[in-house]
Amino acid sequence: MKISKEKFGQSFDALAAEYQVIAPVSDAGSVSFKAVKKFSEVKQDYLNSKLPPKSFFFPQHEKLLSYKKEGKEVTVKNELKVEKTILFGIRPCDAKGFLLLDKVFKNDQYTDPYYFERRDNTIIVGVACNKIAPTCFCSSLGLSPASSVGSDIFLIDLGDSYQIEAISDNGKFLLGGFEGLEELSNEDQTLVDTIQSAETTSKVDVSTITAKLDKMFDSPYWDTLHEKCLSCNACSFSCPTCHCFDISEEVLKNEGSRVRTWDGCMAPLFTLHGSGHNPRDQKKSRWRQRMLHKFNYFVHNNGDIACVGCGRCIKNCPVNLDIRQAIDGVNKAELVVD
Amino acid sequence: MTSTIDELRKTARQLLTDGKVDVVIGYEKGSLPLKATPCFVRSPQDVDKLIWDETCENNLAAFVAKTSGKKAIIAKGCDSRALMVLLQENQLAREDLYIIGVSCQGVIDQRKIETETGEIIAASLADGKISVQGIECDKVFSFTEVKDITCQTCRYPNPVLEDVHIGGSIEVTEQATAFADVIDMENKSDSERKAYFKEQMSKCIRCYACRNVCPLCYCQECFVDCNSPKWLTGGVDSAENLMFQTGRALHLAGRCVECGACSRACPQGVDIRALSRKVNKDVKEMYNHESGLTEEVKPALNVYSADDPEAFLVKE
Amino acid sequence: MSMGESLVNTETKAFQPKIVAFLCNWCSYAGADLAGVGRFQYPATIRTIRVPCSGRINPLYILKAMANGADGVLISGCHPGDCHYMSGNYVARRKFALIDSLLKHVGLEEGRVSFSWVSAAEGVRFAEVVKGVTERVTALGPNKGVFKVEEGGGTND
Repeated sequence: MKISKEKFGQSFDALAAEYQVIAPVSDAGSVSFKAVKKFSEVKQDYLNSKLPPKSFFFPQHEKLLSYKKEGKEVTVKNELKVEKTILFGIRPCDAKGFLLLDKVFKNDQYTDPYYFERRDNTIIVGVACNKIAPTCFCSSLGLSPASSVGSDIFLIDLGDSYQIEAISDNGKFLLGGFEGLEELSNEDQTLVDTIQSAETTSKVDVSTITAKLDKMFDSPYWDTLHEKCLSCNACSFSCPTCHCFDISEEVLKNEGSRVRTWDGCMAPLFTLHGSGHNPRDQKKSRWRQRMLHKFNYFVHNNGDIACVGCGRCIKNCPVNLDIRQAIDGVNKAELVVD
Repeated sequence: MTSTIDELRKTARQLLTDGKVDVVIGYEKGSLPLKATPCFVRSPQDVDKLIWDETCENNLAAFVAKTSGKKAIIAKGCDSRALMVLLQENQLAREDLYIIGVSCQGVIDQRKIETETGEIIAASLADGKISVQGIECDKVFSFTEVKDITCQTCRYPNPVLEDVHIGGSIEVTEQATAFADVIDMENKSDSERKAYFKEQMSKCIRCYACRNVCPLCYCQECFVDCNSPKWLTGGVDSAENLMFQTGRALHLAGRCVECGACSRACPQGVDIRALSRKVNKDVKEMYNHESGLTEEVKPALNVYSADDPEAFLVKE
Repeated sequence: MSMGESLVNTETKAFQPKIVAFLCNWCSYAGADLAGVGRFQYPATIRTIRVPCSGRINPLYILKAMANGADGVLISGCHPGDCHYMSGNYVARRKFALIDSLLKHVGLEEGRVSFSWVSAAEGVRFAEVVKGVTERVTALGPNKGVFKVEEGGGTND
């Protein structure tokens, strides 16, 4: 089905009165996801946001709970505040990113309430990519610029209308409130077919990488990969699937809060133990960890590669340490025979 | 610039063949258009990877202290000043360092290009012109149009310290007003400046790319990582971010060589230079000091004079 | 013994600023002590932190004090030439000039952070300095400014 952007905008504006709607907006020369009230605020022609939308389920800094001590009494308050939300304009790579994060924040023993309370109260409206950047490589990771995996409603931009499809039950529920749905014309269908068959131009080969990495822990390849790395966290913070965090207590006198903050395994002190020992105090071990975690450990533990090919780490790295080149390097590395 | 590159590669090849150095730290072509990337050449066969042009934006001095053995480094003006400060602060041994000096025209600001063409698909550089094929449109720029903001007011394009010089020198045109950008900011009202810095600081995501790319931020334990006392809570609101950036700017007082690497490294485009430029202007005006120019002149906060200005005192 | 007039007025709820005062042990702290011994009155707004020398001051002390809710900061050391450690305050003088200038530049109100040289003999003058600083900080109002951090660390949302 399709819907004109005008009609879509009307439904959008109506929803914005009921839900918190987050959409891509122009932000100092690039694009960010921010709360909007009207469809007219949404940036139409964009590639993707500078930073991934994971912060809407997993904020960079959040208060988990707060506490106050008055005399012998201690009161503890849950600080989680959740609004029902629509995340609009999510690209296929970021939608898949959420599915990967889901595996981290839920296992057979524990479900993270902070992440899932937000996740369960959010409807994701994905939009296919009409333009492909040279740094995108999602097709090499089992995705595509028009993949609806992870979205509740999926849109394909046809110019002055959208092809609109409900993917999940939540999506069907939301779509029920939209008016002005019509059939696609033949022309529309051709355009949809073109967009759906598009692939990212930059390619990497991950077909054997997990198995290769199983044997590469002691490979000399790691000796030089890391050299130009600055050990900042630009890549980790830009990544839709990176999820490391630190929990600390922020206390002043008799009150305080427990806060969770993003952390990143590229930082030298990430693995510093209380004893003073640091198992990954070398850049070499940190870069090995990054590659192994994304392309090997996550596959073994959760069944999927923890990379969606969005290209943000490539664009944001100050020294241009390109993960695609690292993947190629791993593929080409000679295996050291014991 | 072609003959400069050949000279550069020849010098690097000779140094490695003769065993004078274990590694040559330079630039090679990056994986993105108009982007160079640091490279570590260890064998003479690999020197052809080395490039030298307006895309060479990293300050390689940041890598020197962490690289073991004897190293050669390709240093532009600002990089050589950073090396000078590192030597003054005993972070490097002069005998382990072979400085290959090159005079620098300045580097390209890709972000300026991308605001007009969208993400760059392909680009080529020739004769001061940059032809760009972008995702939104194609355009030809002159280098001066898209020169990095730091390079536009650079006064030290020629290395101040080197073991060999490759290529020619660059004549510096004296600017009409030194620190014009800072004066501009100073002339704004308090509330305008406050609003500006608050807006800039709200973009910061505390990835610390700025700190890590800076050759002069080398503390084993940075104040941001310190747990006792805990200076920063890890919150990323503009107040905390301003505390981080101001603290860092003050720790670099009298030491910052204005290479601009911090602002270029920032993935969010925060105007980090605004703070260090102000501090550098103060250091120049109050103590007539510019960092990293000669070995004899010690860093500004290591010395003092009996007549240092004290306008900051209370009036009581 | 009566404490004399105090500017702390619990009935009218006028704004009483919290000012953190970093005082060097040998001069300024002794000067403050002399003010106390001599009963020279000054507003009870300062919370004193004794440091061995004004040269010990890390710019982060000032920033953290404000992040934690101080409405004002006073840093005081020996007069140049009189430093117990010979050159501590000379080094500090350069730091303070740069800190003062940069803080103003980022929009911190003039008068929130103050610097002085007070000697061990200047008990009366210490009281004057604190009175002046208190007046200026009170006029500026509570610190809701550039470095104030909400408890637990803020977020930009």
